[in-house]
Amino acid sequence: MTKAGFYSSTKMFFKSFFIQSLWNFERLQNVGFLFVMKPFLDKTYPDKNVRREALMRHTGFFNTHPYMANVIIAITANMEAKTAKNEASVQEVNLIKSSMAGPLAAIGDSFFWGTLRPLAAFIGVFLVILFSRVFNNADFDYGIIIPLSFLILYNTVHIPVRYWFMFAGFKLDKESIALLSKFEFKHLGEIVRYTVFAVVIASIILYFTVFGFGIVNGNGSLFRNPLPDAFIFAVVLVLSFILSRLSAAFMIYLIVLACIAMSYLGL
Amino acid sequence: MIIENIIILALIAAWCSADMTAFGQFMIYRPIFCAPLIGFLTGDINSGLWIGMIAEMVWINAVPLGVAVPIDISLVSILSTYWTNIYFPGVQEAAIWGLIFVIPFAYLYKEIDIAGRNFNIRIMHWVENGIHKNKEYRINTGIFLGLFLFVLRLFIFYFIAMKFIGIIYQIIYLQFPAFILSGFKKAWYLLPVLGFGAVLHNFRSIKIPFLELKK
Repeated sequence: MTKAGFYSSTKMFFKSFFIQSLWNFERLQNVGFLFVMKPFLDKTYPDKNVRREALMRHTGFFNTHPYMANVIIAITANMEAKTAKNEASVQEVNLIKSSMAGPLAAIGDSFFWGTLRPLAAFIGVFLVILFSRVFNNADFDYGIIIPLSFLILYNTVHIPVRYWFMFAGFKLDKESIALLSKFEFKHLGEIVRYTVFAVVIASIILYFTVFGFGIVNGNGSLFRNPLPDAFIFAVVLVLSFILSRLSAAFMIYLIVLACIAMSYLGL
Repeated sequence: MIIENIIILALIAAWCSADMTAFGQFMIYRPIFCAPLIGFLTGDINSGLWIGMIAEMVWINAVPLGVAVPIDISLVSILSTYWTNIYFPGVQEAAIWGLIFVIPFAYLYKEIDIAGRNFNIRIMHWVENGIHKNKEYRINTGIFLGLFLFVLRLFIFYFIAMKFIGIIYQIIYLQFPAFILSGFKKAWYLLPVLGFGAVLHNFRSIKIPFLELKK
């Protein structure tokens, strides 16, 4: 099926989950990269001394997004196969490897961690708010459905894509990069980003509706204020938006201190 | 809680936290997953859901990019949920106290984690020397040793925090006067709003086609 064979590439796919297990400040994912490549290099270079050279050239610095690493691993493996047949040079292998890491990391960071994860997380947040009062009165912890739905939603995309990256890299070789560039990640990211934005706005509206109008404890307002709690919520929302450049921990302490001060003043 | 249960929970927690870097990146380290999981295992999922929701939103950008090591948000959410459910189950004020009490420990663990990753350099050189000497098995050994040390330091940290630091958490909480507890109660409802603000900040440059809003 591929230049690596189905068994080798599947094995490499499972090994790719360990790519950051020996993450270090000097060369980041280098040993992880070697760990994934090793089954392929074992087959490509049966001679131990030749294989040692191949292993040594992959001990250098390597860092990319852990999901996108699969494409680089597969293309590098193909290059190694060509090098073994004297169809490509060692310099080409290193050049391909180092030149792909940065751009692919940027795609992975922005799409998977900057867009897909917030989408899955915010669907979870929306569900927490939506069912908060139901779950509090339930006999069984039905709430477990929420974290499970987050995990399933995220990994339904993550695992197949990561698998596909490995296979596409092997099968299409450098063309897989061209295919990835044709696949409009930016456009898809924009669509998902708008979806996240819509879910965030829906969550805010729902939160203000459920908790912002004196039904917090089922017996009255949270703040002794002629205005509804939603007014205080809105003030905090605007302030936290403005001050979001500050550290998250600092903001948490600030809010808690403000709440204690309000309680002390009888507000 | 009996020691066997603490060990099992500390192992589960360590495995969840290791997901951030060392293995998989299946997102089981995100607060929206791990806090409810620990809540479920300790008998009250609702505190876990709420704490997970707050931590997820407030630290929405806390992902390890490049060489940056962010604070371990799974540790924040797991420990605050655990302490709440073990010492004051269902008490919202205690959950907020847990959340603010755990943050310095998360920063402490970040330093331990950085030291651990520096130690990985030694293992990496050991692997490299092994390859020079045709000892290829060191690649596999190095990876599993790295993973083992990641999980081990997390496990030890969780175990100490669950077994011993929780007692300090409980003692301090019981000394709080009523107005502080009332403040925590308010914070229970205001912290998610802080989270919404933090998340909206990420969308400050978004273009809304029909409004043409742009930073």
